Amino acid sequence: MSPRDLFGFAGDALLQNRRRSALSLLGVVIGVVAVVTLTAIGEGALRYVTTQFASLGSSLVNVSPGKNETSGGMPHGIGGVPNDLTIQDAIVLERRIPSVRTAMPVSISTDTISYRERGRSVPIVGATADFQRIQKLDLAMGEFLPESELDRGGSVVVLGHTVAKELFDEKNPLGSKVRIGSWRMRVIGVLQEKGHQLGMDIDETVIIPTASGMRMANKSSLNRIMLELLPRADPDETIARVKELLIERHDEEDFTCISQDAVLESLSSILGILTMVVAGIASVSLAVAGIGIMNVMLVSVFERTDEVGLLKAVGANQRQILQIFLLEAILLSSAGGALGLIAGTILVYLGNLFYPAVDMVTPLWAVGAVTALSLGTGVVFGVLPAWRASRLDPVAALQGH
Amino acid sequence: MIRVEDLWRTYQMGDHALHALRGVSETIEDGEYVAIMGPSGSGKSTLLNLLGCLDSPSRGRYFLAEEDVAGLADDELAETRLRRIGFIFQSFHLVPRLSAVQNVEMPMIFAGTTPAERRERAEASLASVGLSDRIHHRPNELSGGQKQRVAIARAIVMNPGLLLADEPTGNLDSRSGAQVLDLLAELHGGGRTLVVVTHDPAVARRADRVVVMRDGVILKRVAGDQVTDLGSLFEDLPPEESELAAGEASP
Repeated sequence: MSPRDLFGFAGDALLQNRRRSALSLLGVVIGVVAVVTLTAIGEGALRYVTTQFASLGSSLVNVSPGKNETSGGMPHGIGGVPNDLTIQDAIVLERRIPSVRTAMPVSISTDTISYRERGRSVPIVGATADFQRIQKLDLAMGEFLPESELDRGGSVVVLGHTVAKELFDEKNPLGSKVRIGSWRMRVIGVLQEKGHQLGMDIDETVIIPTASGMRMANKSSLNRIMLELLPRADPDETIARVKELLIERHDEEDFTCISQDAVLESLSSILGILTMVVAGIASVSLAVAGIGIMNVMLVSVFERTDEVGLLKAVGANQRQILQIFLLEAILLSSAGGALGLIAGTILVYLGNLFYPAVDMVTPLWAVGAVTALSLGTGVVFGVLPAWRASRLDPVAALQGH
Repeated sequence: MIRVEDLWRTYQMGDHALHALRGVSETIEDGEYVAIMGPSGSGKSTLLNLLGCLDSPSRGRYFLAEEDVAGLADDELAETRLRRIGFIFQSFHLVPRLSAVQNVEMPMIFAGTTPAERRERAEASLASVGLSDRIHHRPNELSGGQKQRVAIARAIVMNPGLLLADEPTGNLDSRSGAQVLDLLAELHGGGRTLVVVTHDPAVARRADRVVVMRDGVILKRVAGDQVTDLGSLFEDLPPEESELAAGEASP
């Protein structure tokens, strides 16, 4: 029996029962779509995180108060720490570690910013002049925080894009006095629209000098010290030096020091594992689809018992009958796989249209795996019905038993 | 030549055995036209299935042109059916989704014949049964007589030496039945061996020889033209003599 005849025979039989074929194929389609889209989302998340970190440029080391802090990324509030992480710590780190280009003390609090009768509760980021460079912020107008000693405050503020718009509409805010809590601060700059960066909406924040931020919120500890390393500096060596120095000052390791690279690495591996797990779960649905195919094929063999009997009577051998029915199952599952790939690709494309920020792409390994899986599904779940058909007793089969 | 010796076919039904054939011996010459008659349950269809290599005997020997086919493996039996035997069934057994010509082509698909040659031979075969104008019709677009003629075209397309028909006119009205019988007679005239199972005396009368069966044994053999009706075949044979008749039948 030539392959062409085999395909013709199996294909005709499937087309004969279009609705049933389509329904059993749907299961495979859904399974494949699930794998294609979920892995695309996982891959998209991975790319998103990677580009976010890459946007920060040079290699960074974060020091935060408390031990075993794992979140990484941007500074955020944390309480109950034995020793404060102070601006003085930052100054010492910058002066005493040669590979540190800049140490930037960061504090974060929330307060109300108001101008005349308009007010708004916003995150207040206490930072220094270097923050602009390290976070790659561009100014729409005015200037950023002035270069000064790290422990010097000042009554100046740089507004995020949205904040400036909300408070001043189209007016030029430069030089105006805004009220933050009970402080009066002079607006010296407005940031360009930037959007989210590492989980924080830069447009919604205001930036003031760290020392002012600490006093304003009555905080004794920084949320973070960001260390910008010199190009080609070894992060691990630097981290070792940081630990040494801070333990000396604090008498214990009551802080967490982690490099941006390490955070990215662990995030990437977590996302990678997550993607694999999700893909694995989606693959289970393919197995379920396989059972659907097996069911359809068993019904088909049952319904076509007399046809099998006839095929045997006119001289088909067991292998030929096995091939016919197995190919039917494989055609079903691979058609489902192909349709699923197409539908999944369309879904991913649409997803990218609606969420351009996340660059979703189905990884090639997932395409390969899902193709192999849907073919395999047809083989594995088609064998039993096909084997049954091939073993039918021709005399009984001709009578339809 | 076809020769069976002491053929038994036993079905195990739970804890008791049902003997469908109980020691049948018979010789059919090449080119002979033989009808097998008998009431239902007489074993005539079982015998036909064994002759057609669709089934294997529980005991006994079956020589098809001097080759013992009783012990052949499944694939060899399939090959034998493909090359040497053509079947005609009471219910036609056409594949409903395939056209007449595709149904006729089917055995050649399993034989690995090329598509072009297949189409040519199938069309020729349909022409020989007078259906040249129906080759692209599906079975549900054909009358009963036409369906059976398609089935006959399929049975002869591999040019087998042996044709087996199980009640070939059973589902047909008398006119198309007569047409089918004419066609079978014509094929027999072409030198093929023809074995027909029937309980219709009109069918049996056209055979060279009639083998009468009951209860799994051959009761007697008569010339085809002596058959009047089924009942008369058993008149002279009381039931208790059936075992004896089987014994006498052994060559």
